[in-house]
Amino acid sequence: MSTASGRDLAGLLGPGASATEEFGEQTVDVPPDRWLEALAGARDALGLTFFDWLSAVDELDVGLRVVCHLAAPDATRRVLVRTLLTGAEPRLMSATGLFRGAEWHERETAEMFGVTFEGSTRAGPLLVSGVPGHPMRKDAPLVRRDAQAWPGRTDPSQSRREAPA
Amino acid sequence: MTSGPSGRSRGVIALDVDRCTSCMICVRECPDWCIEIDAHQEVTPAGGLGGRSRTRNVLDRFEIDYALCMYCGICVDVCPYDALHWAPRSTPDERSAHALVHDAERLAVWLDDVPDRVGPP
Repeated sequence: MSTASGRDLAGLLGPGASATEEFGEQTVDVPPDRWLEALAGARDALGLTFFDWLSAVDELDVGLRVVCHLAAPDATRRVLVRTLLTGAEPRLMSATGLFRGAEWHERETAEMFGVTFEGSTRAGPLLVSGVPGHPMRKDAPLVRRDAQAWPGRTDPSQSRREAPA
Repeated sequence: MTSGPSGRSRGVIALDVDRCTSCMICVRECPDWCIEIDAHQEVTPAGGLGGRSRTRNVLDRFEIDYALCMYCGICVDVCPYDALHWAPRSTPDERSAHALVHDAERLAVWLDDVPDRVGPP
């Protein structure tokens, strides 16, 4: 078993990339322009050839963090590659050239978080259509919360009856 | 070997109506607002000398909307009376979202699948 780690990957990528380990989880942070380089490095140098998932986290003022989880096919090692996108229209290079299966995840992330993946082979909404905005952004209004009354507002004590004899 | 999920799978949430006291804790803790309870109180007048009237909650309606439920299990955890249980089943497909609203009767069906459930005293 190879012992290559996120630290090795960060070393491979040089300045700008950093690796941390928390609770046994390897995380590598890279600048957006090194994104594909980092994923390719994890795949080829570390042997993490299994593309598990890709998504994003809305970190409000900090920006939008895109996260990708890659693993070894025997599930012994894995690494979380992250990058931080800032600005009103976040863009990132598509990983579909490296992992064909990234397309589904990128389309979902594009739809839910409003990230444009450049060079993606297919675009367009995946899960919902005709919904304005990006539902997973933290500034997206939760319309249902306004339209629906909280079910916990009622209490049995509000209605009292005589017990049947 | 039997097929299907293992006994401890967090499949669906089953309701033991007899144990539910309509305390509303699950309704209020649910992050999805997917549980609804209608209940009223019944007062039994005091009987005999020095007696007191008794008030108890009576459940009229208990519904879990599986179109909204995210299977977090918080309701199962917070129920002080063990009226809610995980059952190793999956929510059946329905033709409309409305049909995913399960009432007490439908929720009780899964009780038989709950492993090692201790019945009401």
